[in-house]
Amino acid sequence: MKNRTLFRKTAALLMTLSALVVLPVQVVHAEDQPYDTYNYDYRENIVLTPAAYVPEGSVTGQSLGTTAFREPQDLCVAPDGLIYVADTQNNRIVVVSKDMKNTVRIIEEFEKDGSVDHFNQPYGVCVSENEELYVADSANKRIVVLTPEGEFVRTIEKPQSEVLEENFDFVPIKVTVDYADRAYVISKNAFEGILVFESDGSFTGYFGTIDVKITLWEKFWRKIATKEERSKQQLYIPTEFTGMDVDTGGFIYATNIDSEGKQAVRRLNPQGKDVIQKGENENVGGDVRIYLNGDYSGPSEITDVVYRGKGMYSLLDRKRGRIFTYDKEGNLLYIFGGIGTQEGTFTTPVAIETADDQILVLDAYYGAILKFAKTEYGSLIDQAVGLRYDGDETQAIDIWKRVLILDENNELANTGIGKAYLTAGDNKAAMKYLKLGMNRKYYSVAWKRYRNEILTKNMNLFMTGILILIVAGIVYKKFFKKKLQEKKKGGAKG
Amino acid sequence: MKELFSGEKWKYAFYTVNHPADGYYEIRHRERGSVAIAIVLVILFSFSFSMNRILASFIVNDVDPLDVNALTELIAVLLLYFLFCVGNWSITCLMEGEGRLKDIAIAIGYAMIPMIVCMNLGTVVSQFVAQNEEAFYFMIIGIGIAYGLFMMLIGIMEIHNYTLGKTLVTIFLTFIAMFIIIFVTLLFVDLINQVYSFFYSIYQELIFRV
Repeated sequence: MKNRTLFRKTAALLMTLSALVVLPVQVVHAEDQPYDTYNYDYRENIVLTPAAYVPEGSVTGQSLGTTAFREPQDLCVAPDGLIYVADTQNNRIVVVSKDMKNTVRIIEEFEKDGSVDHFNQPYGVCVSENEELYVADSANKRIVVLTPEGEFVRTIEKPQSEVLEENFDFVPIKVTVDYADRAYVISKNAFEGILVFESDGSFTGYFGTIDVKITLWEKFWRKIATKEERSKQQLYIPTEFTGMDVDTGGFIYATNIDSEGKQAVRRLNPQGKDVIQKGENENVGGDVRIYLNGDYSGPSEITDVVYRGKGMYSLLDRKRGRIFTYDKEGNLLYIFGGIGTQEGTFTTPVAIETADDQILVLDAYYGAILKFAKTEYGSLIDQAVGLRYDGDETQAIDIWKRVLILDENNELANTGIGKAYLTAGDNKAAMKYLKLGMNRKYYSVAWKRYRNEILTKNMNLFMTGILILIVAGIVYKKFFKKKLQEKKKGGAKG
Repeated sequence: MKELFSGEKWKYAFYTVNHPADGYYEIRHRERGSVAIAIVLVILFSFSFSMNRILASFIVNDVDPLDVNALTELIAVLLLYFLFCVGNWSITCLMEGEGRLKDIAIAIGYAMIPMIVCMNLGTVVSQFVAQNEEAFYFMIIGIGIAYGLFMMLIGIMEIHNYTLGKTLVTIFLTFIAMFIIIFVTLLFVDLINQVYSFFYSIYQELIFRV
């Protein structure tokens, strides 16, 4: 008797254990999140997906053991993992430890030329690869370069150049630095582009100007308008850049607010030319389907970008609080985030950064850094995209298959599997997955190979069939002709 | 109705495809055509069109299958057909056209044959082409539609005994007539709606008060 109950107990224990082993996948459902996680399919319909990132708490000034942040505008993760926050209205830079539990130091003042100097509304912050802290000291109209400990190194003052207008006002709001210590600066109202400074602080010129788009219709109206009317019309000026990040190759990712919602991010090569790859739908501008009027309508307003490695980058939309992640080819990978007052949503998101597997978003109104943790879904996609970026598409197949378990309709996963099958030579399976992935180009390749396969396999059958048909035709013709002639003869006789 | 099962009439429809000018002349003057067959051909065209949209291979076809509704497409095609016939008839009546409404209906209906054939042929061919061979498919569809339009032109020219220039002018005017018909119809429907709602509100008033 006793033995039996023991047996039962162990059996029950084993079963629960096996169940735990078999079902380790914890799927995060969209309804558990304070925001919708979705993506767009080939036909630009909204498809709900599992969450790629989930909120994982937030960090405020108080939680770091200092006073509250007042409208912080930028944050930057240094190579050593420390997080630098530009606490704009408090005129200070707060350095946060890697685990985001406490402050390492607060930089409020520094010694310059023997006297103490202060920041005045530091708007942007960036730590270069060479461990130098760049601060866009906006109201002081200069860039201050410090050591990470807060020792003064140099300043970049208002540039003097023929390129600039006479009344040019240098109000740096964002700064980023590439591997060669070139500083890229976005200045308020500098519509000509990003200002580039060499490592010695000399101004080299503008970079990556956004072309003004004038429609034919607007051109027509300008033609027929009088001078007075024209002076009252709004000026056609390019849009300003809103945020920047630099990738490992020294390419600058720069965002702007695109009124058409088509292209909100540019990848600028060293010459300042846009070399971004757009996906199938030619759109790297955030939301594809947008309401035209009502609350939260209109195209996404992208304020910042972060390069996430392996060609991936994430855009931050301040209008609807979404974070859009794209791969190198411009495919939209996943979307998460939202505006609201629940934990994990934003009111005024201003800056985005990554720290290890986390995504950090700075909210100016809350004065908080919101943390987002990768889910299994997100990490699988990131892994697969990374493998594809490295050219190991066949290795990605298992990961894509696990993505498909979580998200059956994921077109990228289907395409990825299809491509892997194609290289493996299984054309029929490739066709199936490539069609599900709506990838016409590779589907066509698979189909062509499959067609040749069938043709070569059944060559004998085809040839015999054709031969039989020809013989039958000759015989029939002869027979038919004879009959016809007989008929004719008969007709003639009759 | 009986004409539908007349082999001779069907054969003549195909003769018209091969010899449009002669064919349409005889339709007008020797009663060789059939309205019933023409309408059946229009219906067949509508189905071929919908089928092409649904079944053509993924490589050449960008249509979302969920967007295709064969029934609404059939109604739309029939309405357009009817509208064009009436429009053309009302214009040609004023412009010394010799054709009757019946002849116009037949002329348009028979011109569907090349389109039906090519649409279905295209659907079948699309199953075999790869992406850089899709020109074959579009050529087949293109030829079908071009020949159909050509037949319509010849048909209208022949049954009304017009010159080419006059035919083109009448076709242009036909489209204007179609717009006028649509406009008047919408106006009429709106008016009827208002009259209806007027009487309905009187009825409701009576129900509530009496």
